[in-house]
Amino acid sequence: MNFSMVKRLILKDWYLQRWMILGSLPAGAVTLAIIAIPGKAVSFLGLLLLITILIAVGGQLAVATMVSERKEQTLSFVMSLPISYRDYTAAKILGNLLIFLVPWIALVLGSFALLMFPPGLHLGLIPYVAIMATEILTSTCLIFAAALISESQGWTVAAIIVGNLALNGFGYYVGHIQSIAKGMDGSSLQWTPAASFLLLAEFSTIALLLSLTFFVQSRKKSFL
Amino acid sequence: MNDLSVQFEGVSKKYAHFTLENINLELPTGSIMGFIGANGAGKSTTIRILMGLVHQDQGSVHVLGHAMPAEQAAAKLDIGFVSEDMRLYKSATIAWHMEFIRSIYPRWDQPYAESLLRRFDLKPQQKIKGLSHGQRVKAALLLALARRPRLLVLDEPTTGIDPVARHEVLGELMAVLADEERTILFSSHNTLDVEQISDQIAFIDRGRIIDIDDKEIFLDRWRRLRLVLPPDVTLPRFPGIVEVGGSDRLPVLTTNQFDPDMVSACQNTGATVQAVDCMTLEEIFVANVQSRREGQAV
Repeated sequence: MNFSMVKRLILKDWYLQRWMILGSLPAGAVTLAIIAIPGKAVSFLGLLLLITILIAVGGQLAVATMVSERKEQTLSFVMSLPISYRDYTAAKILGNLLIFLVPWIALVLGSFALLMFPPGLHLGLIPYVAIMATEILTSTCLIFAAALISESQGWTVAAIIVGNLALNGFGYYVGHIQSIAKGMDGSSLQWTPAASFLLLAEFSTIALLLSLTFFVQSRKKSFL
Repeated sequence: MNDLSVQFEGVSKKYAHFTLENINLELPTGSIMGFIGANGAGKSTTIRILMGLVHQDQGSVHVLGHAMPAEQAAAKLDIGFVSEDMRLYKSATIAWHMEFIRSIYPRWDQPYAESLLRRFDLKPQQKIKGLSHGQRVKAALLLALARRPRLLVLDEPTTGIDPVARHEVLGELMAVLADEERTILFSSHNTLDVEQISDQIAFIDRGRIIDIDDKEIFLDRWRRLRLVLPPDVTLPRFPGIVEVGGSDRLPVLTTNQFDPDMVSACQNTGATVQAVDCMTLEEIFVANVQSRREGQAV
């Protein structure tokens, strides 16, 4: 693999998407501030906005860097560069993941900070937030896989819908796992085997999704 | 040392509604090949296979000594590619694109790039989204030329641009031709553009290369003979007659194997040769395609 070219392609996508990513950070900070306002309804609204921002950033990244590459016919420009399709696939997967991790890490750390600092210590929520944040990352990887393999707006939107539904269903399911649910209202952190298992399952799903994407891409015989 | 920049041997690619069949093509280093075909004839598919962007089902492709598609990354380091459907990033400037390409190609020639900017009347700080189609083609050509490629592949670059921009693009390509080491493959359905810059011509139709030769030989061997034939006179069978038009009394013969002796042979039968017309590349292409499609031997 040509790592130097992969790096250049990642930097290119970062440059082209930088305003969207940088713009998501202050928007995320506002939602964190809303979450910090006392009152359950306001906090819930802030949480919804935070999740929406992360899903929107993932979807927009996939559309702008992969679907549009074909739709706007910049793919032939990129593929005329000294790269193979493996390099292109690696650059898209790694690049989008790294770029997405910028707002994701910032907002997840912000969320943890809200839970960890008084007043109103909510350390009991940390396992749930970690699992749900990783679920957002998993959904985003699903969107990236769909966008890269299909290069179609329709399939990418379908993946966004599936990812969003899965997030809601998964959130409900995790919230009703007894060992996780019972510690959620507490002010002390209770990390359970169930939480570890779910996190492991999520990271395994991410690895599987990205490996499958590489595999499918490597079998393609027409790239334009 | 292999003096072929491009070599296709028995290349085939099958799609649901189109098949590229048994393509054999050799492009010697330093030559300029015009690749002519109607829309959908297989020009772009052939070029995509050349660039490694589409994998052939059968046959082998070597570009600048590299097997394609396996070694496409190494080959593309020495290729400049511009196609009619290639777009640059709308939100970025020409200067950003130049810097991006410069960071990749070690032979990037900045003074030449700047001179092309002036000649093409492009402003480095212009964003691509503000450019006309002609300006976008010129920007793409600038990016391809200033990397000083050994092989320049141009897939219908002049399609859809206005006559002034086309003139500038072709003018720059003519200037590039001065470099005898650079090989160029220029595909178009506009025979006039191809005729201006090419020294070799290949015709492609319905997925097959139907004729390939030096341009001058093409132009020399194709002629249209306008005759006046007295009653009861029959012409002998000449080799290479691809079309007999006109009327019984005023036949027009199109041949791809013209020989001055044909004129005297016609006169010896009692026919009057009114004119021996040279044919343009477009006329040759159309006659060639039509005769092939009608199943006549050419």
